[in-house]
Parts: sequence; structure tokens; C-alpha cells
Amino acid sequence: MVKAVKGVVIECDTSVKQIILGLNEKSHFIIEDLDDTHVFVDAGCIDQLREDIDQILNENTYKVEDPK
Amino acid sequence: MGTKRGPMEDGAHGPESSRRRRDEGPIHDVGPHEDQDIEEDYSDKLNVPKKAVMDINYRKHDFVKDSVSTIFGDHDYTWLPLKADHESRPLWITEDGHIILEGFSPIAEKAIDFLITIAEPVSRPSHIHEYKLTPYSLYAAVSVGLETEDIIEVLSRLSKVPVPESILELIRDCTLSYGKVKLVLKHNRYFVESSHPEMLQTLLRDNVIREARLVSEDDASAGSGLMTGKAPNAKDLTIPGIKKDPQDPNKPAAPGAAGVTGDEEIFAVVGLDRDDELESDDVHSFEISASSVEIVKKRCNEMDYPMLEEYDFRNDTLNPDLDIDLKPITVIRPYQEKSLSKMFGNGRARSGIIVLPCGAGKTLVGITAACTVKKSTLVLCTSSVSVLQWKQQFLLWCNIKPHQIAMFTSDQKEKFLGAAGIVISTYSMVANTRNRSHDSQKMMNFLKSREWGFLLLDEVHVVPANMFRKVLTTIAAHAKLGLTATLVREDEKIDDLNFLIGPKLYEANWMDLASRGHIANVQCAEVWCPMTPAFYREYLRESSRKRTLLYVMNPNKFQACQYLIRYHEERGDKIIVFSDNVYALVAYARKLEKPFIYGETSQQERVRILQNFQHNPKINTIFLSKVGDTSIDLPEATCLIQVSSHYGSRRQEAQRLGRILRAKRRNDEGFNAFFYSLVSKDTQEMYYSTKRQQFLIDQGYAFKVITNLDGMDQEQDLVYSTQAEQMSLLQTVLLAQESAADLNADVAPDEDDLTGNTTRRSGGGGGSVLSHAGGSSVAGSSSGAKRSVGGLKSLSGGDQMAYVEYNKPVNLKDKGKDKADHHPLFKKQYNKK
Repeated sequence: MVKAVKGVVIECDTSVKQIILGLNEKSHFIIEDLDDTHVFVDAGCIDQLREDIDQILNENTYKVEDPK
Repeated sequence: MGTKRGPMEDGAHGPESSRRRRDEGPIHDVGPHEDQDIEEDYSDKLNVPKKAVMDINYRKHDFVKDSVSTIFGDHDYTWLPLKADHESRPLWITEDGHIILEGFSPIAEKAIDFLITIAEPVSRPSHIHEYKLTPYSLYAAVSVGLETEDIIEVLSRLSKVPVPESILELIRDCTLSYGKVKLVLKHNRYFVESSHPEMLQTLLRDNVIREARLVSEDDASAGSGLMTGKAPNAKDLTIPGIKKDPQDPNKPAAPGAAGVTGDEEIFAVVGLDRDDELESDDVHSFEISASSVEIVKKRCNEMDYPMLEEYDFRNDTLNPDLDIDLKPITVIRPYQEKSLSKMFGNGRARSGIIVLPCGAGKTLVGITAACTVKKSTLVLCTSSVSVLQWKQQFLLWCNIKPHQIAMFTSDQKEKFLGAAGIVISTYSMVANTRNRSHDSQKMMNFLKSREWGFLLLDEVHVVPANMFRKVLTTIAAHAKLGLTATLVREDEKIDDLNFLIGPKLYEANWMDLASRGHIANVQCAEVWCPMTPAFYREYLRESSRKRTLLYVMNPNKFQACQYLIRYHEERGDKIIVFSDNVYALVAYARKLEKPFIYGETSQQERVRILQNFQHNPKINTIFLSKVGDTSIDLPEATCLIQVSSHYGSRRQEAQRLGRILRAKRRNDEGFNAFFYSLVSKDTQEMYYSTKRQQFLIDQGYAFKVITNLDGMDQEQDLVYSTQAEQMSLLQTVLLAQESAADLNADVAPDEDDLTGNTTRRSGGGGGSVLSHAGGSSVAGSSSGAKRSVGGLKSLSGGDQMAYVEYNKPVNLKDKGKDKADHHPLFKKQYNKK
């Protein structure tokens, strides 16, 4: 029998791809690394991946808060 | 709108978070640590009027919130009722004192003049301005001569919404008693003066003041009467450097003039530039004894009648005169003239603060004021380098003799010869209580023992609260002038200190200044450089300190820098590239083959490089490290590129901007100076990008973000264009020590420096010199062990000493011994000869 794994192609810029590669070392969701801007990952991990990426990118964003 | 720092994440940002804590806003350069040097708390020694700290109360309103209200929270003002003709009025007023002005309205200019007098500017880009009404700004307004009802009337005429009750209350409370009573020193006697006799009567009913009152025996109006006299005027006072102009072009149109439009009538009532000469001629006063001046001032503050201080220097015979004048070649610009006329408006010297942007000529204003007062002057600056610069400027612009100026810093303790003179010193020297050397103590006694006619305070907004109070209580000065670039402090910590010097006398409209060519018209831009994948991967993996190095050494940044340099050199600009990080500085400069200066460059080489930069047409770019901020005389340039941005102070950046960028005489319109900040995308540098943006916009600089440099793709031979080069650069960076990431290791700490001097702190963020220097003391030696070679005599400190034998006769006793008393066995030895 053929074992099929559902996957998703992610297109992103080079910096985010590095973030994904970094996250991969913990959770191993990459099925195939296509090129500089595309990655093929396991479908089940997308939501988690989204959150993680958001979190990392938010570290760099300066939030304008209300004064007082 | 003020901004705050974002949420602090502790995980990945360990050492940086403590560094960030120091960044408490664009203004606050020095943290609370500096205050701790001064043990006592002086806050109770100096009273401020009660109203100064009052908060405006606002009521809750029920109004229908819509879907976006939550974003604005308390600042949703959609419920304010608009007047019928609101379109012709330029401003909104909110309940907490914020005023928003439409800058494109036809009467905006006059409205701006008015608003500057009564409120503090918060943000002034070209189309929408924001101001804030504070007790302090109202105090300043009243001291210039505006009346309560006039202010209210003009404000309601200009406002689109009816003026809220709380604001009316605030204005009435604050202005009712401010600025009506003056403390005047003339003929060496102290007088409490006012043009409203009933106010003086109220004061006299108070016991404390009545006791302090001096009544001379031959005074005809002894007892309950008050002395009356003519109001002082400036008719025969010439401020040096200013041409006497009989017609004051700013006087409002006479009420009877035909064809006065409705707009001008508004301002005719207010009479903004009316000097005191137009007020009623009589002023009433009573005398108080010199010893009770402090008590009376305090009592008046408590009673909410804060006194303005004026110094009648022309009639002061006790303090010796200092005969100095401006040199004839000195030219004073119109805005400088205006600020001085506010200070000397009625023939006396008013104490207060003058606000001028960086690079606008504050020093000259201070020098001119000193030349007008012509008494002993004490000048306080922030660092020992500024002390030197002030002295040079004094010698340059006025005809003072070198022996009349003395500098008082940690290196030099001079005194001036003669009865009167000028002493230039730093806040730290005067305010620090611990560890005074004998020479410093002698100097301090000298400073404390005499009466100073004039006290000049430079960069008032930088000084921390307690230090400031200490200075003001230690030094006895008659007239005080504070010079600063920005008066608004977001943390509002030293609001009460504004009452210690005096009201704001003048604030320059810097956009006006820029358009007239006095300061440069700067275009600020942030260039976002993407990180290369390899660098970014390492960035993600590394700890925070190494990260700094990685994002600064981004090859794309190198390329962007190179491209910008090329572009501007072709235009004929002189470029300075700044880097706070020394490692990066050296790497960049070497790769791009440009001269550079940092802490370790020898003095000779520095001079040579700077001279070449200024005069040699082939050298158009130099790289500077932090030494450029304090230790050297900055050359003028028209383009500033910042390669590694500093975590801390935005205000310091703006100050750097102001000092370096001078307007070049160009015929083309538009911007004549450029400021680029190179930021690596998706890294920590971006965090401060927004904040910097906000601050620069508030200051009024035009700001834009460049995400892609046009034409960079077509450039030939940019550095690091191949993968191989980038990888080797990456390897070099990874091998570099963590200490290379320090931002502050370049300049040796100087105990005099106040601004940006973070190396002094023992806990100074992740980048402290302390952590890798092996526990060197806070006093600041840069390395742990010192080696020296010398004889035992010099090592033990005996170079200055000689060995002298005392009590010779006692020892001579032994001389006679050889004649007798020797043991027979040894007699032979001694008698051998």
C-alpha cells in the first residue's frame, strides 16, 4: 500500500524560511526543502507553525501603547 | 501622543531588558542612578505652588461607543459637540488639556503663536499639531502678560468645540494668582512688587510675610501703606548686538484702525507681544529684609502666589561689574533677538527658560545675555567637553579676557583674577557630595561664598531631578537662565523644577527656522536591509549579545551603505557614517576603504583626518564612533548615515543630528541634509524603528522608510556580492568575541559627563565594561591590572622623599667607641691601623 502524507507548500521570504528551519529542529515537520522561498511541510502542524512564527516576528515589533 | 515601550519579553532579551529600562522616553537620558549620588533628598526644601501638581479631573461620559472605540480607549472624543461654524475654527480642546490644531487652516499661524504662549507643544508635524495645557505653561503665559479672561475668550473663539468646564477651571485657578507678584532685587534691597495693590495687601495679611517686611524710618508711608513707583521700562537698555528698532512690528493693530478683520480682532485683544510698557504705569511694592527672602518665597508658593524673580542688574551696586561686551562682528539672528527681548523686556533680567532646537545657536543667546547683565556669571554644562566649547565660544564672540574665564572640571580647577568673572563648570562637579579632592573643595567654597549675578544652565532637560535641586540650593544667583532644546518631558518627573528656574520665556518655531535657513532641513530615512539567509539562521540561534554583531555585519547592510555613500559623494555631499559599535566600525571602514576615528585613534591622526575631511575634496566620507558625540569637535556634514543604532536614547540621536547637520547654501529647494539609519529587517533593530520614527516625527523631521534602494541591483562591484565572501564574513563574525558587541566600550568614562554615560553604571546593561574587565572598580579604570617598571624606591612611593637622620648627637656617641671598651680579643683589630 502506498502511504500518503498530507502536506502543504509554504511560500515565504528568506528570513521567514530560516525561522521555519529553526523551528523544524524541535518539531520536525518539514517533509522537503524546495528552494530559497518554498518549503513543503506536514499539514497537521500548520496552525502551530503559524503561531510560532507570529510570536517570533512579534518580538521585533514595537507596539504603540496608550500613554497613561 | 506619547508612546511607551513595548512589552518586555524576558526570555530572549535578558541583558537588554535592563538596558532598555533606561530608555524611559525620548528625553530621559540619565536614569535614576545618577540621582543616587546625591544622598539627601531635596524635594522638601523647595516648595512649589500647590496648583502645579494638580490633575485635571474629568467626568465620565456615557456615549455610544462604536466598533473602533476600544482602540482609542479614553481618547475617543467623538461625543464632543461641534459648534455650528466649526469648519472655520482651527482647533479642538479635550477635557484633559490636549489641544489639536489643524495646521492647514488659514488662521493657523496666529493660532500657533497664541498656543505656543499658553501651552506646551507635544508634536508639530506640518498638518496637525498637538499641544498640552499644563499649569506650568499657563504660568508662563501669565508671566508674559496675558490675562485670564483673555485666554479663555481667545481659546473659545478658536475652538471647534465648547471649551470643557474642567479646562476653564484649570485656567482660572492657575492664572489667577500666577505671575502677578514679583520679587525684585534692586539697589541691593529686596522688594515684593506688583501692579495690583490688593494682591500685596492679601500677602501682607499673612503673618510670616508681615514679619519679614522692612519698614525704614524715614518712609512717609510707614505702617500700612505701600510704596508706589513707576513701572520699569526698557527704554534705555541696549542689549548688545541688537539694532534698536523703534517700531515694534509685532504690536497688534490699534483698535480704531479701519478694516480690521474678525481674525485680527481676536489677537488684538490678547496683545501677545505687548511689553510691560503698555501696562499701567504704577507698581506698588514693599521691602523685605534680605535674610527672609527664602521664607517669603516659600510662603508665597504655599499661598499659591508664586513670585516671578527679576533682577535689576543696572542698579545693583553691591556686586562688582564685569566689563564685557559682544564683539562687533557678532551677528544675532532674529529669533535669538526675540528670545532675548522677552528676557530683558522691562529693563530687568527675568529668570526663565529659553527653548531653541539643537544647532540653533543657544550658546550665543547665553553669551549675549551674560554680556547684557555684566555681572559675575556661572555657567553649568553637561560634560567637560561642553565646558571647553563654552569657553571657546565666549572667547570667540565677546571681548572677555582669558584671565576672566575659569573652568572648573575634574581636570582643571582655576579661579578668575579680579573681582568679577565667569566660571564654567558641570552639574556633576557642583552637585556631587562625595569624594571631593582638596582642590575641588576649595573651588566649591569659592563658588558658594560669592553672589552670582547670572546663572546659565545649559541643557536643562537632561539634568536629573535631585541634582538640579542641589545645584539651585547651593548657588546663590540673582538671575537664572535655562537653555534647552526640548521642554516636554514625557515622564513629567521634574515638572516642579520648571518652577525653580522660572517660566518659559521663548520657544523657537523650529520649522520657521528651518525654512529661513538657520538650521538644516533634514530628510530622515530608515533603510530596511534584509538579512541574508545564512546570517539570519545564525541570528536565530545565537544569544542576544552575539546577535547584535550579526545584524550589524549583515552583508546587505554593507552594500546599502556603500551604495548610499557612492550616491551622495556624486552629489558632492560630505558624509559622516556613525557606528556605536567599534568592531563594526572598523570592519566597515576597512572594507569600504575610508578613514575612521574611534577611541583609540591618536590625537594627531584624528586632527589629520578631520582636516582632510573638511578641506580635501578627495576625502568626502569618514567613519566615526561614539567619540564623535563628546570628545571631538564635530565637523559639518550634509549627510549622516547610521550603521548601528543605539538602543537607548532617541533624544541623543536627535541631538547628534542637530549638531552635525548644517544647512549648506544650496539653490535648490527641498531638503539639504539627509539622515539615514540602516536597519536589518526582522531583527531586534526593527523594534526601535517605530519608536524612533515617532520621536523624529514629533520633533517635526520629515521621515520615510526605504524598503528598497533603487538602482542598487544595477550597481557594479558592491562588496560581499558573492556567496563565498558572505560566508567568510559570517565565519569571522562568529569567531569574534562577545565583547565586540559592546556599544559603549569605546569612550573612557569621564566623571563629568552627564549625557549618555552608561559605562559608569555598574549594572549598565549587558554591554557593561565591568563584566569582562574582571571586576574593575566603578570609578572606571578600563583594565583590571596595571603593570609598571621601577626601582623599589619609586614603587613604594619614595620618589619625593629623602632619608634624613635625626638626633645625630645620640648616634655620634658610638664614634668614641673605638678608643676603649672593646673586648681584648678584638682590641687588636681596632688598633691595627
